[in-house]
Amino acid sequence: MLIFRSEEHLEKWLKDWHMPQGAILSLEQCWQLAQAFYGPDRRAPDWRRKTLDEIEALFAEMGFTSPFWRLR
Amino acid sequence: MNIDPATTTFDQEVRHYVYDQTMKVGTSPTVVETAAALSATPAKVQASFHRLADAHMLVLQRDTGEVLMANPFSAVPTPFLAQVDGQTYYGNCIWDVLGIPAMLRRDAFIQTSCGDCGTSMTLRIVNGSLEPAIGIAHFAIPAAQWWSDIVFN
Repeated sequence: MLIFRSEEHLEKWLKDWHMPQGAILSLEQCWQLAQAFYGPDRRAPDWRRKTLDEIEALFAEMGFTSPFWRLR
Repeated sequence: MNIDPATTTFDQEVRHYVYDQTMKVGTSPTVVETAAALSATPAKVQASFHRLADAHMLVLQRDTGEVLMANPFSAVPTPFLAQVDGQTYYGNCIWDVLGIPAMLRRDAFIQTSCGDCGTSMTLRIVNGSLEPAIGIAHFAIPAAQWWSDIVFN
């Protein structure tokens, strides 16, 4: 996951690398996603990875409902 | 996507030590360092690292078996640098470098660069909020494939 100065810079990068466009997030959305995934303390004995259902619910809550975000 | 890993109590101790050290000093401990800290053999720790990697809780360096990623942290330098309380940390990508202040629950100054032109970009997390900044994040790989090539991703 990379950061770009603007959509114009992303479009140039996609063209240069012959890559299809994936998902574009605002930096605020990326920060929210980072807090959701990395907020819990992974040193805790009972820490576990989120289940697919939990991740899908999180994506839906954030409005990430396109096929790009499907996990299965 | 394997999210029901067969890990052990010892694996939990290893995971705790790896994250604790990484959060304290900014880089992940080696197999030998972890073995010494937990009074275990390097072979036992290496086996644990592999179980944790199989469970997607660590990513290992292919040739050495040492930690490459204890997400969101990178054990090797990357273009995603977070400074927190005078300590330098590396993230694996823009999502992960933002995950560092999220995990540490601290303010952060993030230095990175545009994936296209390499121009320096900075972000600040202050009191749990991202200060307004120009830029966008791009996720190139569909979510279902994220773990297929986590290093590229």
